Amino acid sequence: MSTSHEFKLMQLADSFFPSGTFGTSGGLESLARSGRIKDSRGVLQFIRQQLRFQLIPCDCAVFLAVMNAARKNNIEAAVNADNACYSIKLVSEVRVASTRSGRQLLNSIVHVAPTRFAKRFRKKVDSGDSAGTHPACLAVAADSFGIPRKSALRMMLYSYSAGMVGAALRLGIIQHIDGQKILNRLAGDISSVRLAGIYDIWQLSPLIDILQMQHERDDLRMFIT
Amino acid sequence: MGSGKTRLIERLVPVLTKSGYRCFIISNDVVSKEDAERMRRILSVEERIIPEDMIVGIATGGCPHTAVREDPTINLAVVDEIERKDPSLDLIIIESGGDNTMTTFSPALADYFIYIIDVAGGDKYPRKRGLGIETCDLLVVNKVDLAPHVGADLAAMKRDAGKVRPGKPVEFVNCKTGKGVELVARHVIDGLLFDKRAPVQKRRKRN
Repeated sequence: MSTSHEFKLMQLADSFFPSGTFGTSGGLESLARSGRIKDSRGVLQFIRQQLRFQLIPCDCAVFLAVMNAARKNNIEAAVNADNACYSIKLVSEVRVASTRSGRQLLNSIVHVAPTRFAKRFRKKVDSGDSAGTHPACLAVAADSFGIPRKSALRMMLYSYSAGMVGAALRLGIIQHIDGQKILNRLAGDISSVRLAGIYDIWQLSPLIDILQMQHERDDLRMFIT
Repeated sequence: MGSGKTRLIERLVPVLTKSGYRCFIISNDVVSKEDAERMRRILSVEERIIPEDMIVGIATGGCPHTAVREDPTINLAVVDEIERKDPSLDLIIIESGGDNTMTTFSPALADYFIYIIDVAGGDKYPRKRGLGIETCDLLVVNKVDLAPHVGADLAAMKRDAGKVRPGKPVEFVNCKTGKGVELVARHVIDGLLFDKRAPVQKRRKRN
């Protein structure tokens, strides 16, 4: 990867890049409040499970499909993958958070690194033809930045993991060194993800889904999800 | 926190509505939905000023300043949705989650920024400064009735405000009674909104 691509990868992976994902906990808040996760071991296990049963089989599949579509300038394929992602998210607040974040991410990209494909995709999202989910829009962003697919995929998984560590910190489950240890341990999990193994869209996280449905009705909520 | 942001909105919106302005409220909730629910109860159910669905609460992940400053995309996404659904709105009020004196609103999010402190926090503010106090379009000092009880010198606060934000407005209010809120409304209208005529009340024809 070139130095320029490295920089852009860092820019897009940075939590400072405006996408609103700082407001999500991916179910961690509910797990913490219910006492199911109490320490850094629990946080690490949670992130690993989410990577294995949701991020990799679902979000990564969509991400790669959209990146491939962008490469081939196939807007319809990108729209199909995006809408499939939206359909597979069972929980309303998860769908809303994903599309709000995705749309804003797309908005940032068309101002920062506009490509024809990004602008066309944004039109599809604005018109309602495409849902604008976070993985799909992040893929368009990565393509706009010219980041290679493998690196972009790992970037997405890292950003997710760092986001969950941030949520765990704010929930008071872990302290800052724990957070870095968790990310260190996840490096192997993320590095070992192979593009060839991702071809179908599925996810299986029934406990998290149920807890997130309950979260929608909770009076006390620090996070959007 | 606790300076009276929600109460100010509850007092301000009826004044603006009576002046003909249609308002929407986004409440950034730190942990509970209490502020949004309270505003719905007062403004929608009790006073029938605006419909319940024109007040929404959003969670901000425990980062109230991030949600309005470094990464306002959550709020911007909600604003976009509101504007698409109802382009005739005159004003969208975004209540932040409450933070320190350095909090400011991103100019991408807010066209007009009100910062509210209260006298019970001590008359060291606004003297202690902070970007929020210094740069806001309007500084509101609330709970003036409590000044004698907490030993706050209102004259000193006014003097200090003039020094730390020269030439910029400051209003002393009591949101509990509504005293001073009309002046706040005037600042908002003059600084941000187009003039409107108040809605005409139709008179019934007498038979």
